[in-house]
Amino acid sequence: MSVEHGHPLRFGVLLTPRDGERAGALAERARMSEELGYDLVSFRDVPGGLDPWTLLSWAAARTARVRLTTHARAHGAGADHPAVTARAAASLDLLTDGRVELVLDGADGTLSETVDVIRGVWAAAERSPLRFDGEHHRLTGAERGPAPAHNLPLWITATTGGAQALRVAGRKADGVLLVPATGDAPLAPDPGGVLLAPDPGGVPAGPGTGDGLARAAALIDEAATAAGRDPREIRRAARITGRFTPESEGFLTGPPRRWADDLLPLIRDHGLSTFILATDDPGTLRRFAVEVVPALRAARGEVAERTPASLFVRRHRREGIDYDAVPAALAGTAIEPGDAGFARVRSTYMRGGSPGLVLRPGTPEEVGQAVRFARTQPVKLSVRSGGHGISGRSTNHGGIVIDLSRLHAIEILDKAARRVRVEPGARWSDVAAALAPHGWALSSGDYGGVGVGGLATAGGIGWLVRQHGLTIDRLRAVDLVLADGTRVRADETEHAELFWGVRGAGANFGIVTSFEFEVDEVGDVGFAQLVLDVTDTAGFLERWGAAMEAAPRDLTSSVIIGRPSPGRPLIGQIMAVVNSGDARTIIDRLQPIAATAPLLDHSIQVQPYASVMHVPHRPHDGQGEPVTRAALADHLTPELAAAAGRLIGTGLTYFFQVRAVGGVASDVPPDATAYAGRSANFSLVAFGSSRRGLDAAWDELLPHFNGTYINFETDLRPERVHDAYPGPTLRRLRALKRRYDPDNVFRDNFNITPSDP
Amino acid sequence: MPDYGHDLIFGSFIIPANAAPHEVVALAQESEAAGLDLATFQDHPYQSAFLDTWTLLSYVAARTERIRLSGNVINLPLRPPAVLARAAASLDLLSGGRFELGLGAGGFWDAIEAMGGRRLTPGQAVDALGEAIDIIRGIWDAGERSRFRVDGTYYRVEGAKRGPAPAHDIGIWLGAYKPKMLRLTGAKADGWLPSLPYIQSLDEIAEANATIDAAAVEAGREPAAIRRLFNVTGRFGQGGDRFLDGPPEQWAEQLAALTLEYGFSGYILMADDAATIRTFGEQVAPGVRELVARERAARVSGAGR
Ligand SMILES: Cc1cc2nc3c(=O)[nH]c(=O)nc-3n(C[C@H](O)[C@H](O)[C@H](O)COP(=O)(O)OP(=O)(O)OC[C@H]3O[C@@H](n4cnc5c(N)ncnc54)[C@H](O)[C@@H]3O)c2cc1C
Repeated sequence: MSVEHGHPLRFGVLLTPRDGERAGALAERARMSEELGYDLVSFRDVPGGLDPWTLLSWAAARTARVRLTTHARAHGAGADHPAVTARAAASLDLLTDGRVELVLDGADGTLSETVDVIRGVWAAAERSPLRFDGEHHRLTGAERGPAPAHNLPLWITATTGGAQALRVAGRKADGVLLVPATGDAPLAPDPGGVLLAPDPGGVPAGPGTGDGLARAAALIDEAATAAGRDPREIRRAARITGRFTPESEGFLTGPPRRWADDLLPLIRDHGLSTFILATDDPGTLRRFAVEVVPALRAARGEVAERTPASLFVRRHRREGIDYDAVPAALAGTAIEPGDAGFARVRSTYMRGGSPGLVLRPGTPEEVGQAVRFARTQPVKLSVRSGGHGISGRSTNHGGIVIDLSRLHAIEILDKAARRVRVEPGARWSDVAAALAPHGWALSSGDYGGVGVGGLATAGGIGWLVRQHGLTIDRLRAVDLVLADGTRVRADETEHAELFWGVRGAGANFGIVTSFEFEVDEVGDVGFAQLVLDVTDTAGFLERWGAAMEAAPRDLTSSVIIGRPSPGRPLIGQIMAVVNSGDARTIIDRLQPIAATAPLLDHSIQVQPYASVMHVPHRPHDGQGEPVTRAALADHLTPELAAAAGRLIGTGLTYFFQVRAVGGVASDVPPDATAYAGRSANFSLVAFGSSRRGLDAAWDELLPHFNGTYINFETDLRPERVHDAYPGPTLRRLRALKRRYDPDNVFRDNFNITPSDP
Repeated sequence: MPDYGHDLIFGSFIIPANAAPHEVVALAQESEAAGLDLATFQDHPYQSAFLDTWTLLSYVAARTERIRLSGNVINLPLRPPAVLARAAASLDLLSGGRFELGLGAGGFWDAIEAMGGRRLTPGQAVDALGEAIDIIRGIWDAGERSRFRVDGTYYRVEGAKRGPAPAHDIGIWLGAYKPKMLRLTGAKADGWLPSLPYIQSLDEIAEANATIDAAAVEAGREPAAIRRLFNVTGRFGQGGDRFLDGPPEQWAEQLAALTLEYGFSGYILMADDAATIRTFGEQVAPGVRELVARERAARVSGAGR
């Protein structure tokens, strides 16, 4: 006998638009259903009544938790094109963060093709356009995507006698919704006491044997097995109707106990796990939720609830990862290559990736579980916050990524002390926006899309660095998960040495789950973009460097120079922030740097710091691997400026940038944090396309440098670790590593090995 | 030159990017907060970077209270008219009469066909749009008892149940440029909705207005039955001599002139940041209203003298 399939029990409602009823009343019933604890809301399609998809989208915006399902308008005369249906469903799923399920009517022969087209559109990770040459649908190279937010379940409705639909469901669907054959007629018990849809042309059911449900289940299972699927992949649901009456009068007609008695065998013996109650009567809705549902849950008892991964998902799994051992708390939000959301999480801003598993913990405790699991797996481990890593390889091929984007809270802890708690998955644009209403800011970097986690564990050279220091200089405490999965808090007194190490080499010791900063008072700033002719590259760099060293600390600026093209002047771009809203001060500060080369164009705006940092959120879709070199320099000496000019002249770098540091950042002693390059007035980075070419050219410049800032460097040679962490710093870091991560679990970013290599 | 005398409406045109769906919703809410009358979204169902416009409109309607909403414009070839009519009426009912139907004949036929849609010539597409408008109005006519039948060249409806009826008279606004489409606008639509980047000259606007007006009269309608709306682009800044490139006061003067001389009474700004939307709603819109009201009053008293 077919039995429990291990799916969670779910209860839904089917609401019916009624003539003359205020439209909003229906959406209200949807909300009430959510409040009553139902898992699903759906709407019936009544000719001449409200359009179900519109209604569903409306209801989605007015609810927060409940899942939403509707019949797609995907077949018959009033059909949408299935590709449009697919995008609509994915769109609502994105808007609701994954609360949508789609039901296709199994009534006609187009069904199987419709499923294929919809899944084809959702397969956004495939780079080829969608072609489909079916009997009913023809697509000649449609764009794919968007992928829904989650593996959006596709249900197929069928009567227990609808062999064709049941077979398609077995082969292709995520679920079967059993409905009565004659429209609104309630499902009725067959003589054996088992629910059976009136089955017009079907074989009459005998008592206890060969009933409609068992036949339907057999059809589904057979088709599933033939397609190589595990029949348990397919969830079974039934639409039910009934009446609460004082006495037991019949199937689902009686007191709540009777209802529970009628439904329980369907769960136990027929593997049904979802029931959709068709009613608009508030009393019935409430009683079912309050009296029947708990009784059923209790009677069902403990069942290991674990929905088996679909064939599709299993086929895309990578070797070396024990997917079945993923802790239950993480399994629900984890994303694997076969999952809908994979296209959105595989790559980072700078890199293409194809990890085998992306874990997305939602609490520090879950981060601990993720670390404990990941360290037992013989594959690469990457840690990702905002995904803007350059030295930090926050994606990989075939390994595990711990993605902290769900940990993105920003909260004010103490107004008077300007103490703020920020989680690693927040972006710096979010931080700026959250602090702005208080008249505060925290200097971070020049780009708001960058994540908190990678920057605040390494340094943070930002727009206010000369006046307010590095980001790590404003850090007062961290919570982190260590290599063994335990959690600690580190600050100046507790785990003080660890706190020292986190500020400059944090990625080596654990995963920071919370940062506490003391932020600064910052209002409007002057933001300037100057375009200059820097054909005299060396002279310009020297002059700009001198101007920056002489400038008051409220000015910070950076220079970007591109690849020269023959016969054209070389263009340099200065971006500068003056921490003042006063036009006179802004102009005063900018004049000396504007005079460092012929000025071609400029724009200056006074705006809130948060506007300078504002960038819209976009999922990453990087490709390939970045090639960069980075360094710190105390001064832009004539020799360094000349050498940099020659490097730019070779064309080996298409993006050469120098940022001003110094100021307050240099007031901090070099041994106060693991970021040792305190004497540097400048941070340099070059992006190239040839690893070998750029390395050779950059290595020539090494004598002019004094250390490096890890966050812009992609050279993997061990010397770089010594550049970033000079002798005494490195010795302390190794001691810390031995204490906190002796097995070197965290090794993907400027790895400090526990002992000298 | 005509001023059709309509009240003025101001709106936003927001890119429905699916990369950050909540930001799109937030911009619609910003539009409402900025006092705009209308938020609109383009509809290119073959574009995988966009949210499904219908779904988005419905969602946004439930997250706003006052602002009116429209597709700008809805792509008819991939949205069957009977479905569309019902969906539009439903949205109008749910939102308390806040929905308007910007509608287009479709233009990117390769992409439409790639999605499984039917390829039409531009001329056929206008005819199909004419049929579709009849179907849409037929479905909305829920008071009519007869079963609904249409046997068109492009669309067929066989005895569909009519309804639901929308909460208010939904305006059907057409994105039109060529004479045939302009004549259809005059004959059957409630609004004309061109976009600034596709308009070459002011003369073109005058001619288009004349074509619409003539077609309206021929169909026994008042030219003023057709509202003229305009999708505009521009920049707020120190100022240049280009159209809509300068401070808000300059925008207001330029738009007021368009209303008074070219009959536009709706301006929809293509803007994807909250600051621009706010400036448009809080500074430009009141400015245009004031200038137009003053001039209209002067004209009335001038005429009375
Ligand atoms: C466009 C761009 C602009 C930039 N501008 C600046 C700038 O102005 N100033 C500046 O200082 N830097 C800048 N950077 C560099 C940036 O600081 C680093 O790349 C940083 O690592 C990005 O952080 P993330 O969280 O986005 O990166 P992710 O890719 O998520 O992480 C990078 C690495 O950091 C480590 N890490 C991430 N989260 C944690 C955590 N919670 N706990 C411990 N370790 C963690 C991991 O090793 C990971 O591999 C810029 C980078 C880019 C791409």
